[in-house]
Amino acid sequence: MAEAKKENRFRQSTVLFLISVFQVICAAEVILSQKEINYNLVIIFCGYIALEWLYMLFGVIITGSDYFELEAIAFFLSGIGLTVCATIGADYALKQAVAIGLGLITYLVMLLVIKNLRVAMALRYPAAIGSILLLCANLVLAKVTNGTLNWMDVGSFSVQPSEFVKVAFVLVGAVSLDKLLSNANLARYIAFSAVCIGALFIMRDFGTALIFFFTFILIAYLRSGDIRTIVLICTVALMGAMLIIYFKPYVANRFAAYRHVWEYMDTTGYQQTRVLIYSSSGGLFGLGLGEGKLRDVFAASTDLVFGVICEEMGIITGVAVAASFAFIVVYAIRAAKGAKSSFYVIASVAAAGMLLFQLMLNIFGITDLLPLTGVTLPFVSRGGSSLICSWGLLAYIRAAGAPFKLPSPDVDMSRAAKRGGGAA
Amino acid sequence: MKKTVRRAAVLYALVAVFLAGVILLTAQFIIKGSSWANNKANRHIYSSGVVTNAGTIYDTNGRVLAESKNGKRVFADSAAIRKAVLHAVGDTSGVISTGTHNLYRSNLSGFNLFNGIYNLKKTGTGNSITLNLDSGACRAAYEALGKYNGTVVVCNYKTGALLVSVSKPSYDVNDVPDDLRTNEKYDGVFLDKACSGIYTPGSIMKIVTAVCAIENIPDIYSRTFECEGEYETGDGVVVCNGTHGKVSFQQAMNQSCNCAFAEISIELGAAKLRATAESLGFNKQLYAKEVPLVKSRFNPSASSKTELGWAGIGQSTTYVNPIHFLAIMNAIANGGTGYAPDRIKQMGAITEFMGRMPETLVRMNPDTAAQLKQLLRSNVTDKYGESKFPNLVMCGKTGTAELDDAPSHSVFAGFSSRDDLPLCVVVIAENAGWGSGVAANTANSVLQYFLDNN
Repeated sequence: MAEAKKENRFRQSTVLFLISVFQVICAAEVILSQKEINYNLVIIFCGYIALEWLYMLFGVIITGSDYFELEAIAFFLSGIGLTVCATIGADYALKQAVAIGLGLITYLVMLLVIKNLRVAMALRYPAAIGSILLLCANLVLAKVTNGTLNWMDVGSFSVQPSEFVKVAFVLVGAVSLDKLLSNANLARYIAFSAVCIGALFIMRDFGTALIFFFTFILIAYLRSGDIRTIVLICTVALMGAMLIIYFKPYVANRFAAYRHVWEYMDTTGYQQTRVLIYSSSGGLFGLGLGEGKLRDVFAASTDLVFGVICEEMGIITGVAVAASFAFIVVYAIRAAKGAKSSFYVIASVAAAGMLLFQLMLNIFGITDLLPLTGVTLPFVSRGGSSLICSWGLLAYIRAAGAPFKLPSPDVDMSRAAKRGGGAA
Repeated sequence: MKKTVRRAAVLYALVAVFLAGVILLTAQFIIKGSSWANNKANRHIYSSGVVTNAGTIYDTNGRVLAESKNGKRVFADSAAIRKAVLHAVGDTSGVISTGTHNLYRSNLSGFNLFNGIYNLKKTGTGNSITLNLDSGACRAAYEALGKYNGTVVVCNYKTGALLVSVSKPSYDVNDVPDDLRTNEKYDGVFLDKACSGIYTPGSIMKIVTAVCAIENIPDIYSRTFECEGEYETGDGVVVCNGTHGKVSFQQAMNQSCNCAFAEISIELGAAKLRATAESLGFNKQLYAKEVPLVKSRFNPSASSKTELGWAGIGQSTTYVNPIHFLAIMNAIANGGTGYAPDRIKQMGAITEFMGRMPETLVRMNPDTAAQLKQLLRSNVTDKYGESKFPNLVMCGKTGTAELDDAPSHSVFAGFSSRDDLPLCVVVIAENAGWGSGVAANTANSVLQYFLDNN
């Protein structure tokens, strides 16, 4: 057994090693392209890579297990975000590194909290009420940024409350519908969802509203398994959306450039066309970090960061980022099979679905396959709220368990082979 | 619980949609990547819509016509050459849409799907392009036109290489006149008349009518025609440029006798004339390799004999595009195979050792081509005089395109039948009067340049 464990650990450290090599290359490119060596950046990158290794080391020591695929993916994605921030400036990189640290802490705290189902259950009312209060405060205090009002100033930081509500939304949904599937419970959850989505609509943050709606549908399906109900909800929502467009034409106007971005390339199609122009300029391997021109476009390091990655690090890196999310989702589905309670199943699948859905809204939105809604790229976009939320959602997936029960190769595998069952 | 786990598989559907989106996006990048990356909003290549970083454009002798230095576009040293090649090279803003800068911008930027524009970014220049254009000859052609606007095109009929392509009016890109867009003397300055212009051809259209006559009237060479200065068609009159008396087919061509050709046109009828013209490329969207040509138009009237007569001698609703007509001359000179005049000599790694493949734009029956060559040769020997084209062994046809309210265009189309000078030429000098004047003299000057410099 000891031998098998050793082999597992080697595999995981290989993954982390490759990720670290990638990050060292990125860091070297950023640091060496500047006139003088910026020692702050050196410290930030070294610290970040050290954090990854320390995390894994302590993880192995404390848990005795060796499943760190999820964290490895999250570190890979966050590292790319950190690199993009570093090309803007050391202070941006520092902020992002701190945010990643906060994200990791959130992740660990969340893991501890939801490990105990009772605690998770007890948290649902505070989470729901807190979310509604947060969104209400947001509505009152919000400042208009880029047409949406979902930013709030707390001290010297800009906070996007809806990001934190995402984490709570999954918790409330998964807990409410786990065991106590009474009509009253269901009604309360639907009301809670309606308030959240409604508030986001008033803030004109249609992208986030859509993410919440998608997650709501997903949780409802997981719980009920009733396709007809889902179709009904979607139909009602669609009619509602059409009513809104009818009475508030400005909503539709915001998406007028959709599929016509080249006709509006200097107005509402500006960001999308620049993403297409510069992404294709980068080719497979990119023009080099800091060499791009998309970075001069508004929201380059947040909403458009996927375009910056494609231009400067190549479409290959862009595809790797996208594939990482597909991996997270597959991980979540398989992890659900070994979960201890349906709470973990729902939470894990809802969180993974939410992440992938947001990714799709982001990268397909900025490339005009979908309407541009201005959502961030989880883990990668610059900004603390988004990072903390992404790591928080990851905790639900991790809590469901490990998906790939690697059999001890020397004993189990050979036994399975003898039975003729192969590795299935 | 188990049901819930099974339902989790619904996320595979989301992953499938996601993968479909990624595949669609990748396909779009492969198909449209080049046009996206070469968009004028790309600040790696353009600055405020003006080309800054791109490959060098050379003329056929390796002379630099445009290059990028320190993020700026620099043009040929000589102002005269800059003006002469302006339209073929193109301006940096791409207003001259058929210019090399605009038409071949994805080649100049060196974009490819694999590397994007990495090479451009690294070196400040993309891929270079070598044109077939001889800038010295272009300058000679530009100067030979004198004060007149118009166009001069010269092509090697054996290879299809477009050696001269000049369009006037022009301007100096290093010294753009303030009144470029307001002064009427610059009307049409952004149009490359060689490929984007169409003109009333006048008598050079008799070449097309002659093709039709040779192929449809078996005894055309034994016919005679009576010219009394004008020809009564039955519903009107076609006026001739002189009174030629009794002429044969060849004499009619030599004298450019409108009466004879109007009679031939009416005998052939609108349908046959149109069929011949269309077989030579009229009324069709043509491309000289990548360069789009404005359609030459030939729509002879089926109802009015007079209009039909005028159309057959290059008036009425007949219009030709200079490069297209050059390809027709290529066909006559080259035994029936008229190569598309090709502006590009080398572009990209493949053409560097393979060369550009010639492409046939106009096809003609080889016998017809031989007979026409003989007719055009007799024009020079029997009418214009060898002294007009010394040492060129010239074949050709002049044209005087009559306009409603302006002096006639002076037009010439021809070629040298010397083996060591396989060149076709088309000249249009706007409002310059008789074809045997400015246009024929310009054609001679340009071909003399090649004779002297070979």
